[in-house]
Amino acid sequence: MIRLEGIGKSFASARALDDVTVEFAASSVHGLLGENGAGKSTLMNVLFGLLRADTGSIVIDGKPARIASPADARAHGIGMVHQHFTLVPTLSVVDNLALAAQAGLGQVPRPAWRARLRALAEPLGWRIDPDVRCGELAVGEQQRVEIVKALAVGGRALILDEPTAVLTPSEALELFSALRGLTARGTAVVFISHKLAEVEAICDRVTILRRGRVVHAGPLAGLTRERMTELMVGAPVETVRKPPTRLAGEMVVEARALTVAGRGVEAAVGDATFMVRAGEIVGVAGVEGNGQRELVRALLGLERPRTGELMVAGAALHRGEVPDRARLGIIPDDRRHEALVLPLSVTRNLLLGEHRRKPFAIAGWLRFSRWRARAAELAGAYDVRAASLGQPVSSLSGGNQQKVVVARELHGGPRLVVAVNPTRGLDIGATAFVMSRLVQARELGAAVLLVHSDLDELLGIADRVLVMCAGRLVDSGWPVAGRDAVARLMMSVDASTHAATGEPAHG
Amino acid sequence: MADPGSVLPVTVPAPSAEQRGPARWRDPAVALLAVAVAVVLLLIGLAIAGYAPTDVASTWLSGALGSGVRRALSLQEAGPLLMTGLAVAIAFRAGALNIGGEGQFLLGSVAMIACGTAFRIPGPAWFATIVALTAGALAGAAWAGLAWALERWRGVPLVLSTILLNFIAVYAVSLLVHGVLQDPLTVAPQTAEIPEGMRLPVLATGSKLHLGVAFAAALAVALWLVFERTVFGFELGVVGMNPSAARLAGMPVARRRFEAMLLSGGVAGLGGAFQQAGVTYYMSDSSASYGYAGVAVALLGRLHPLGVAAAAVFFGMLDTGSRNLERVMDVPHDLGDVAKGLAVLAVLVAAAVFFRQARVEAS
Repeated sequence: MIRLEGIGKSFASARALDDVTVEFAASSVHGLLGENGAGKSTLMNVLFGLLRADTGSIVIDGKPARIASPADARAHGIGMVHQHFTLVPTLSVVDNLALAAQAGLGQVPRPAWRARLRALAEPLGWRIDPDVRCGELAVGEQQRVEIVKALAVGGRALILDEPTAVLTPSEALELFSALRGLTARGTAVVFISHKLAEVEAICDRVTILRRGRVVHAGPLAGLTRERMTELMVGAPVETVRKPPTRLAGEMVVEARALTVAGRGVEAAVGDATFMVRAGEIVGVAGVEGNGQRELVRALLGLERPRTGELMVAGAALHRGEVPDRARLGIIPDDRRHEALVLPLSVTRNLLLGEHRRKPFAIAGWLRFSRWRARAAELAGAYDVRAASLGQPVSSLSGGNQQKVVVARELHGGPRLVVAVNPTRGLDIGATAFVMSRLVQARELGAAVLLVHSDLDELLGIADRVLVMCAGRLVDSGWPVAGRDAVARLMMSVDASTHAATGEPAHG
Repeated sequence: MADPGSVLPVTVPAPSAEQRGPARWRDPAVALLAVAVAVVLLLIGLAIAGYAPTDVASTWLSGALGSGVRRALSLQEAGPLLMTGLAVAIAFRAGALNIGGEGQFLLGSVAMIACGTAFRIPGPAWFATIVALTAGALAGAAWAGLAWALERWRGVPLVLSTILLNFIAVYAVSLLVHGVLQDPLTVAPQTAEIPEGMRLPVLATGSKLHLGVAFAAALAVALWLVFERTVFGFELGVVGMNPSAARLAGMPVARRRFEAMLLSGGVAGLGGAFQQAGVTYYMSDSSASYGYAGVAVALLGRLHPLGVAAAAVFFGMLDTGSRNLERVMDVPHDLGDVAKGLAVLAVLVAAAVFFRQARVEAS
C-alpha cells in the first residue's frame, strides 16, 4: 500500500498540486484521470522522485518513505514507464535491463540477467528475445521491455503513463491481460490515461484530479463515462457530431503509384495510390512507424518521391517546397518541434507563416500592432488560454499549444488540411475541440487528410479510411466495412515485419 | 541540418522587445551578474597570488578609462571585436555556426592591403578607400560562402569547414606576405603600408580610434532594428530557433542561412579591412586573433547586437587595462585573456542554469 499524503507542489507560475492525498493498494489497477495540467504527471513525478513536493509525505506500508530521486523510488520497488521510451536502441534487451538497474555492464553476468528477464516476462505471457537490439523491436515490444525494466526493481508498484497511445487495439488488450497477471501477484498498477473506455476495461479504482486537487476517489463501479468526463472537465462535454457525408467535390490531392524512400534500402511508402477531394475527411489509420511519416513528408513537399506522381491542388510537387502555403493547413505530429517556435510568444507563433503578408508586414518591416490585434482575435475565436499573448508559447499547456497551431492553420479557410495525430497528449476537452474544428474545415470545403493512430477518434469523423501497414496503403472500405475490419487491416503484417521497414519507435 | 543548441551551448534569445516589464531585463541582468562574479573570482585569485585586489582594480580601471586617450584606446580595441562579434551573432542567430570569423577577417584585411599597395585604383583616394573596404567585405563574404557551399553540396558541417578554412586563410596570408605582397624595401615578412590618403580619419588624437569603429557602433544599432523589426530578421531568428517549423511555415530556410553566412562573412571581412585602414596600415604574418575573440564577444553579448557592443567594449577595456597592469604592477597582461575566458564561461554557465530552470518550469 502506497499512500501520498497532503502533497502540495507549486511552480513559479502556478500551483500544480494542492493537498493531494491518494492511496494505491496492492493487487489492483488504479486509474489516474484528469485533464492536461490537472497535476497527474506532477504527482507521479513526485512519487517517482523526479520532483520534490513542497508539502506532504509518502507512506509505504505504514512507514514514512523519503523519495528524493528515481533511485530511491526504485529502492522501494516502484517502477515507471514513461510515454517516451528510455531504451538505448543500440543495446540488447538484456543490456538495457542491466543498465536500468545501474549494475554497470560487465559487473553483472549476462546469464543472470537473461534468467531474470525470463522470470519477469513469462508469467505475463511474454516471450522476449534477450539478445536482440532494442532499436529493432516494434513499439509494442519495446513497451514490454520497458515494463519488465520497471518491474525488475521489485514490482511493488508500476506507473504507466498513457501506455496505450502507441499500441494497436489488440496489443492494448494483450497489455491489459498482462496487467491482470501483475496484480494477481500483488503489484499495484497506476494507469494514467485519457481514454475512458480503457479505464473502464482495466481499472479497479479511479482517482480524478482537477486543477491540482482530488475531485473524486473511489471504485470504478458505478461511475459512468459521462460522469468521469464531467468530473475531469468540471462541466459536461458535448461529443463531436459529424454532419452526414456530402458528395465530395474537386480533387485536391492525387497520388498515383507513389513510392517514398525510407531510412534504409526499403521504401517506406510503396506504390500508394489515393486521392482526397474537397469536402471530405480521409483518414489514414495504422500503427505508428508504418510509413505515415514519409507519406506526409512527400505530401508536404519535404521529400521527393522516388517514383510515382503526386499532384497537390493541381500542381506537381517539387522537393523542398511547401506547396502554396497560404491555402494549406498543416497540423504536424510533433507540435513542439515542427509547428511552434517555443521561445517565441503566442502572438508570434500565431502569425508564423502569415508574417510577411499585408498588413502584418509592409515593405519588409513588421507591424506588431497589427500582429497583436490579429493574435487577440484568433486567441478568442479558438479559445487559446494564456495569461498574456506576449508570453512564450512554451509556457502554455499542451492543449493550448495545439489550439495555437489549429488557430493558425485553419483560420484562413485552407483548401487542404493535413493533420497528423492532432490530439496526441490532449485531454478530452481539447481533443473534442480539435476534432470539431477539423469537421468544421470539411464543412467549409477543405479536403482533410487525417493521419491518426487513435482508431476510435479517427473513425469518429472520417468519411473514408485508408489503412497503412508496412508502407502499403489500402482502402479499408469504411464505413461499409466495420471497425473490426479496419482494425484487422492494421495488423495484416505481423510485428516482426513492420519492425524491418526501418522506422524505429519514436514517441 | 544540425540543431545549433546541440553543438554549442548557444540559445538564440527571444526578441527582447516582446517581453515587457522586468522580464525584458532578465537576460542582460543575468549576464551582468555572471561577469561580476567572474571579476570577483579573478580578484580573489590575484589576492591569493599576493596582489592587493583594490590596487589591481584601480590600476586596471585607470588604464582602461583613466583619461580621454585611454578611453579612446579602449574603444579602438573594441572596434574589430565588435565587427567580428556582430558577424558571429548574425550567423548564430540563423543557426549557422560560423566559427570562421578569423579567416574572414584576415581575407578582408588582405583585400584592403592588396588594394592599397599592389593595385592602383584610379580616382581620388576616398574612392579607392571605399573600393578597398568593399573588396574586404566581399572577400570575407566569399570565404563564408565557400563554407556554406561545402555544407550545402557536400554535407560538411559549418563548424568544421569554417574552422579549417581559418587555417587555410592564415597560411594563405602568410604566403602573400612572404610573396607578392611583401614590401620590396624590407626583408621582413610584412607588406608595405597603404597610402596615407586611404587611411581612415582618426576621431580622437593620441589614439587610432577611427571612423570604422563609429561605423561598427552604427551597425550594431542597425542590426538590432533588423533583428527585431524586419521580416528578414524575424525569419533569421525562426530559422535559427526551429528550422523544421520554419520550413513548414514556408520560409526559405536554406536561403536565409546562406544570406546570414554572406552577411556574417561580409561584416567580419569589413572589420579586417577597417583594422588595416584605421590602425595597422600594413600586415605581417602574425594575427591578433580578432576572429576567434569575436565568438567569445558574441556569446558574452548573448547574440544581441547591443549586448555584443557592450561585450566588445568590455573586452577592449580588459586589453588596455591589463596592459597598464603589466606596466605598473608587473602582472602579466595575459591576465586580460584569463578575465575574458572567465567572463564568457560565467555567462554560459549562468545561461545554461537559467534556461534549464525555465525549461523545467515550462514542462
